Amino acid sequence: MNPKNQLLLIEDERNICNFIMTILKSNDYKMTYALNAETGLSLAASQCPDLILLDLGLPDLDGIEVIRKIRSWSNVPIIVISARTQEKEKVEALDAGADDYITKPFGSSEFVARIRSALRRAASGSNSSSRTQQKYIAGDLVIDYEKHIITIHHEIVHFTQIEYKILTYLSQNAGRVITYDSLISHVWGPFADSNNRILRVNMANIRRKLENNPADPQYIFTEIGIGYRMVDNENT
Amino acid sequence: MDSKKRKNFAIASLCMALATALAFLFFHFVPNNGSNIALIYILALIIIVRFTDGYLPGVLSSVIAVICVNFLFTYPYFALNFTLTGYPITFIEMLAVTLFTSTMTTHMKEQAKLIAERDKLLSEAEKEKMRANLLRAVSHDLRTPLTGIIGASSSYLENSASLPEEEKSNIVMHIQEDANWLLNMVENLLSVTRIYSQSSKIKKTDESVEEVVSAAMNRLKKRIPNAAIKVTVPDELLIIPMDAVLIEQVLFNLLENAIIHSKSSEAILCYVLDDNKTVTFNVKDFGIGIDPGRLPMIFDGAPYIGSAESDSNKGMGIGLSICKTIILAHDGTIDACNHENGAVFYFSLPKEAAL
Repeated sequence: MNPKNQLLLIEDERNICNFIMTILKSNDYKMTYALNAETGLSLAASQCPDLILLDLGLPDLDGIEVIRKIRSWSNVPIIVISARTQEKEKVEALDAGADDYITKPFGSSEFVARIRSALRRAASGSNSSSRTQQKYIAGDLVIDYEKHIITIHHEIVHFTQIEYKILTYLSQNAGRVITYDSLISHVWGPFADSNNRILRVNMANIRRKLENNPADPQYIFTEIGIGYRMVDNENT
Repeated sequence: MDSKKRKNFAIASLCMALATALAFLFFHFVPNNGSNIALIYILALIIIVRFTDGYLPGVLSSVIAVICVNFLFTYPYFALNFTLTGYPITFIEMLAVTLFTSTMTTHMKEQAKLIAERDKLLSEAEKEKMRANLLRAVSHDLRTPLTGIIGASSSYLENSASLPEEEKSNIVMHIQEDANWLLNMVENLLSVTRIYSQSSKIKKTDESVEEVVSAAMNRLKKRIPNAAIKVTVPDELLIIPMDAVLIEQVLFNLLENAIIHSKSSEAILCYVLDDNKTVTFNVKDFGIGIDPGRLPMIFDGAPYIGSAESDSNKGMGIGLSICKTIILAHDGTIDACNHENGAVFYFSLPKEAAL
């Protein structure tokens, strides 16, 4: 990372705030923080951070509302930090425009990896036309978007139209969770039945073609009740 | 109260009207059949008594019935004649039948009510007891790691100058271990609130079995990175109704228990079997097995008092009792047993939602 990335942390609990600041400063990020939504929002506007870390349970404004407000003027990546285990809030946050979420408590390595992945996605998105979307590479899996070819161990594997669509969508958003609803509306269109049984069936087929062991996947992970996350693209 | 009276009145008058209509039919088509008509009224009286509350509707109806029989169906027709032979006996009979049955049914109803009330009280007491037990077990289990954390952190802070580096990282490692254990406990407790908060039944959706298994595996790998587990699912995609978050919690608990308590480094087997009407999840380890004396109540959440082993503080009691609560809420079954060289825990879920 050439110049230091600037991160903004919006979190109301001081202990957690301190600990996150310590981790991220030692990982060479430039940090600012806010203890409530109001200062958070004004800092987000005045400092234009490269990424925002947002706690959902703020005292003055609901986290979902904060995401909506930021999204109304900026595409800065937002990672939600949530103590709530309820899937509904996570889905809501993602649908409101958050890029990713991480559930408290979390290990520092996982946390930093998520931030890196979000920053990388944002970087490759901003200078898109030039270098995006040629290939997705993860382990033995290669998706060539131009040639419409997917290979595992250098062997071509055939996927149906729908399966290919799902895979490209997941891999182009590799590293972040794609909710069931957004996946369904992307693949089957906005008016598709939100019954996700057909999605499950397609995912099962993909898994059988892609993974060594469908019960212990390497490439596509299930986030129960929320959606799917494809492993990070190594081709960046 | 008023509506009850109205209901009583409606039932009584409906039954009497029906009986009278029936009696008319009989009277016209089968002549000289006075005994049948009386029987029809008696039947109507019994029905009235069964479906109304209190004595009054029955007694009134029987008086009306006697008058009806006299007025409509005995000679002279459409006139009351109390001097008829045997009339007082019919009257007394009918009254007696009504009084007798109404006493009996009232008594029966009262008893049924009493039994239902007692059952309700009992189950309430049972629930209260369960809650109290859980709370006690939880507080006991929470205190141990907290003591460890507080002790370790204060010894670190107070002696940080004199402690060697190695000892310091050892202390912090212990703190982390205890904190992780606490986190597991809290997640388990949260899943219980998830069951109880949704009034009576859990919210089930169709979920793919392999996704739940893989999610549990994924979480476990994060928590215990060097865990050795061999996992298999049927080749055919299984989709069954469940609360996936809860079932994942159960699987996670069973897998983690197997790793921690089997005291064996051999890989744990986790496999799913497709039976006819159910799907069975198995977690099989190749370790020391379960104390046979403990097997029958292993899911009851009672703190283990057997041989005081070193890990008694990391009781698996609560985790397993929560597993049972979750599986029962799914109308499934959960059990454990020993095999030749280790233990196996298994639970089944119905493929179709119970009607």
